[in-house]
Amino acid sequence: MTGRARARSRGRARGQETAAPGAVRTPLNLQLNNPLKKIIFPLHAALLQISAAFQQVKLGERSGRRRDFHDAGVNMRQAMEHVKESKCGVTGNPIQLTANFFRILSRPQWVLYQYHVDFKPQMELRRLRSALLFQHEETLGSAWSFNGALLFLPNRLHSKETVVCSETRNGEKVQITITLTNELPPSSPVCIQFYNIIFQRILRILNMQQIGRNYYSPSDPLNIPQHKLTIWPGYTTNILQYESCIMMCTDVSHKVLRSETVLDFMVNLRQQCGSQRFTEICEKELVGLIILTKYNNKTYRIDGIAWDHTPSNTFKRGDADTSFKNYYKSQYGLDITDENQVLLISYVKKMGPAGAPPPGPAMLIPELCYLTGLTDKMRADFSIMKDLSTHTRLTPEQREGRLNRFITNIQRNADAQAELDKWGLSFDKQLLNLAGRVLPVERIYQGSRSYDYNPWAADWAKEMRGLAVMSAPPLNNWLLFHTRRNGNEASSLLQTLSRVSGPLGIAMGKPVMIQYEDHQESLLAALRHSVGPQIEMVVVVLPNNRKDKYDSVKKFLCVDCPTPSQCVVVRTLSRPQALMTIATKIALQMACKMGGELWSVEIPLKQLMIVGIDCYHDTAAGKRSIGALVASLNQSMSRWFSKCVLQHKGQEIMDELKKTLSAALKEYLRFNGCLPSRIIVYRDGVGDGQLHSVVNYEVQQIMDSIKSMGQDYNPKLSVVVVKKRISSRFFAHINGKVSNPPPGTIVDAEVTRPEWYDFYIVSQAVRSGSVSPTHYNVVYDTSGLKPDHMQRLTYKLCHMYYNWQGIIRVPAPCQYAHKLAFLVGQSIHKEPNMKLDDQLFYL
Amino acid sequence: MDLTFSPPLHKQRHQFVVDFVKRNKPKKVVDLGCGECTLLKMLKFHHEIELLVGVDVNGAKVKKRMHGLAPISTDYLEPSYDQLCVELYQGSVTQKDARFKGFDLVTSIELIEHLTPADVELFSEVVFGYMTPKMVIISTPNSEFNIFMPGVSCYRHSDHKFEWTRAEFRSWAMKVCLDYGYEVEFTGVGKAPQGQQEAVGFCTQIGVFYQLGGRDCCKTLLVNDAEDLFPYTLLYRVNYPSLCDNNILRRVLVSEVLYGAEKLKNRWMEEQADGICDAVALCQTEGGACAEEMKDLMEWSGASDSAEKQGSCTSCRIVAVPLDVLWSCCPKVSVLSGSLGNLKHLLMDEPNIKLSQDSSAVLINHWEQDQEEKEDDCNLDDSGYPEASLHSHSAEQEEDWEEND
Repeated sequence: MTGRARARSRGRARGQETAAPGAVRTPLNLQLNNPLKKIIFPLHAALLQISAAFQQVKLGERSGRRRDFHDAGVNMRQAMEHVKESKCGVTGNPIQLTANFFRILSRPQWVLYQYHVDFKPQMELRRLRSALLFQHEETLGSAWSFNGALLFLPNRLHSKETVVCSETRNGEKVQITITLTNELPPSSPVCIQFYNIIFQRILRILNMQQIGRNYYSPSDPLNIPQHKLTIWPGYTTNILQYESCIMMCTDVSHKVLRSETVLDFMVNLRQQCGSQRFTEICEKELVGLIILTKYNNKTYRIDGIAWDHTPSNTFKRGDADTSFKNYYKSQYGLDITDENQVLLISYVKKMGPAGAPPPGPAMLIPELCYLTGLTDKMRADFSIMKDLSTHTRLTPEQREGRLNRFITNIQRNADAQAELDKWGLSFDKQLLNLAGRVLPVERIYQGSRSYDYNPWAADWAKEMRGLAVMSAPPLNNWLLFHTRRNGNEASSLLQTLSRVSGPLGIAMGKPVMIQYEDHQESLLAALRHSVGPQIEMVVVVLPNNRKDKYDSVKKFLCVDCPTPSQCVVVRTLSRPQALMTIATKIALQMACKMGGELWSVEIPLKQLMIVGIDCYHDTAAGKRSIGALVASLNQSMSRWFSKCVLQHKGQEIMDELKKTLSAALKEYLRFNGCLPSRIIVYRDGVGDGQLHSVVNYEVQQIMDSIKSMGQDYNPKLSVVVVKKRISSRFFAHINGKVSNPPPGTIVDAEVTRPEWYDFYIVSQAVRSGSVSPTHYNVVYDTSGLKPDHMQRLTYKLCHMYYNWQGIIRVPAPCQYAHKLAFLVGQSIHKEPNMKLDDQLFYL
Repeated sequence: MDLTFSPPLHKQRHQFVVDFVKRNKPKKVVDLGCGECTLLKMLKFHHEIELLVGVDVNGAKVKKRMHGLAPISTDYLEPSYDQLCVELYQGSVTQKDARFKGFDLVTSIELIEHLTPADVELFSEVVFGYMTPKMVIISTPNSEFNIFMPGVSCYRHSDHKFEWTRAEFRSWAMKVCLDYGYEVEFTGVGKAPQGQQEAVGFCTQIGVFYQLGGRDCCKTLLVNDAEDLFPYTLLYRVNYPSLCDNNILRRVLVSEVLYGAEKLKNRWMEEQADGICDAVALCQTEGGACAEEMKDLMEWSGASDSAEKQGSCTSCRIVAVPLDVLWSCCPKVSVLSGSLGNLKHLLMDEPNIKLSQDSSAVLINHWEQDQEEKEDDCNLDDSGYPEASLHSHSAEQEEDWEEND
């Protein structure tokens, strides 16, 4: 799970029904056009969810703007004639797998009864309606679910319409009419949402805590005290209609929490960076993080810091003004010790009471908030990540064991079983068994030579040794920058480079060695002074991995003075025994950056252009997104056109990428003398619930862009949504041991979705932990390509990422696009110079 | 004439109890007729309370809401010294349960009017005669106030068996006091419209009962000891994590020690790398006390077992952080352990902590490692390039997918 995705999913966490008291400053512009939304006053998370879910179904609102995480309403397969019958491939050896799915079983002829509930007189408060209705538990039975308007029961009431009378606290008589409106079969979308809600109840029964969308058990935490981290083990679960039946997909999840308050964090930070830069650094570090409060079990996203507010500030509570300090003391018995701390701002997505203006942002007290998750800085800290992974990385065997234990716990818990029985539901006791196929090893071509790689390692670094790459431009005019201190390392790097470059077929001349003072400014001055248009490559040996120097080098050489560049942190060069390996990697990387081609695989389609798209969301810089598009220019998929766009506020990323695609097509035309007759777009970076907008908006944009090349230009087009962050896992059983499926494993049945043309590929090999498959969803396809070929082409493309001599998780263009967007988002913050468009300068 | 209260009356009643708890600081509180546990949820934030109990005849209602009383995530993250145990029971207030004796405060909010007069008698006996708490809060509607409530013809709620005037409530209360040795104060929430407070009274009348002479005169407690009964069903019980629990204290202390040691180690390493001059400056800005002691950090070099097992090029150094430095530099460690001797004692048998032989320092590993190693294949020997098995192109059969379209 990427950080931003995690932040996103948590940012939308449910159960944020009440805003912490907040000075109403800027009313949020929330949509109040939905009549049902107004009347929802959730009592707890599960009910909120039920209401949201049902509301969606009822109103047919499936845009997935906030709620439809499973993209359930998007059905593309029916429009694709060639996969209507079957979307399965045929190539490869069959392999028996298990998957982290459990079937949901219901009684035969099971239906869910949906009732409409009417109150006379009208009752405004949903809570009240709920209370009134359940004065009649003997009529309704113990199993019920009510969202304020709709009532769901597992049993049919005696008559179609039932009228009962209730009484409010004030003695007011209320007449309630309960009318049967629907009988829902087990596979109806409402039922599926309903199963999820029931299941969440069960997780609560098992004493698990909800954080964001998942449930965790805080009673057996794993501590990493050296970094003040606490990890809670938990599970992600979701129940959906899969290819042939309804199943629950469940995976082990770990929640990283920090046992320090935001105030502790701020105090530490101020100590580290000094008061001057504190405000700037603090905002950068904190904004976008998710926090938990001490007094309720809610998560908030930090959207800003109110530097001019302290706990002594007041807010309107009822009619009176109360200070935050007094409020927390009287309401929760919490003492605020630091009077001078500034407050955190969180924009709560919440509806106010009907008629009232929506609530403003919540103001939170740092002392009462705990940080969750990791900051980018922590993510970059090797020792933290290492300590984390020893706790969270599970071998396939451990993972399968935990999943089985989870189901056993549910089966053994009497209360949980009672809840399931009440609704007439049960779960399979075992993981799902299914068949997959393992694609054959691809042959790797380097010029006139070719070789196979070890299928389990999925890596050809060894095989590549001593073989010349396909092509590499000669390197004559280049510069090597180093500090005085690192002179030795720089010259040994140079020596080793010249040793390895010969066998690799890279003609490398002698560089000009340039010394620079260990300051960002002097490095920049040295670059300005020496780098001119004739320079083919700049190598900079950096004394440490501080980001500022790296950023300024990249900014200068990507924007101001377009030149391929290679940065090397001196520590990498410090171990003589690894220098050969490292120099080989560096030489290969340098070659690609100048437009060299390392290897290729057989691509049996002609006049094909592969496009990869990915996004990077810069949470710190005002949530500006960066989109990158990378398109192939030749048959061997070894030359690429890369372009990056910076999204402006309120704009769809595709609006800009559209122009980029046209530019890519023109470049293809220039390169090949013709336009591609087939275009396959791999779209990465699509979040949960965003599929709808890809299908309905982006595909059209892509077609418009193609149309702009000429009226009679009509290439075959496929659009494939690539998803890495999924919870599906597969396990192979080899020689009686649970292990990862081998690279090249394809799954295209059972756990796919009936309404999609989708498949999974396990393309990469992992050395430790469980491998995560990648999900491919062909959302648009006029290519007529057989599913088998679509799968194999996708797998072939996973071999083509030149920064890794092995198979990667996604098709190479997606990884290139990711790299480019990341570089621009992290370091450059500007569009790179177009002179670099034809080179993989960002590797 | 329509009267609406702000905040709503039910909230005012609960607020009354909360304010009372703040003033009187009872340790053990039971709410009779806790229903949806709303009052309990408010009370759980008051640190004085160590045992918070709810009881209701309607077990299903309690079950639906009881998870709301569970500790929340952050209670686990930074446990405090407060102790809190929450228990919920299904049971009738007309029955005696031995577990309900000896409470400091019993609350019964809008409960008695749902009982038949005969049950009210039993209730009085159970609460005042058997449970014998130090304090009791009883609230019930004031029927004199009903003239301001237009919708109300007889009682405010159809399930009410009676609604008392102030005089009726007073006479019942006085009898209870007389029978069981209590004194009572009358008050209420929900004021009548201006000028009529005297004539009508509060919308909800409240009686606050105090036991006379404290707990010493509880003869009944001793008498009944022989026949303890437990008719109530325990529905839910949860202990909040607290530092008073030795295991939790230990866990938190170990975390703090390791965190503090890691921080000191990192600072020391940095100073080593940057040279002494910088080190002094750094220490001075961050608190003088540590500056000198920092020099005491010791170091042993050598590859540890685990490093060898990994077979990688990592080397591991061991850094010793003296306990007294830790104790003086990390306020949380000193607060948790109380004294240096106690700290040593607590860490002695801790499996996650390695101490030096004389138990005067914590030993921690320092991994010399850089990020690249993870990606690099360290087990490859760079002595030569073995020939890869080579094939020529022609052997491959070309496939053409286009035809299949």
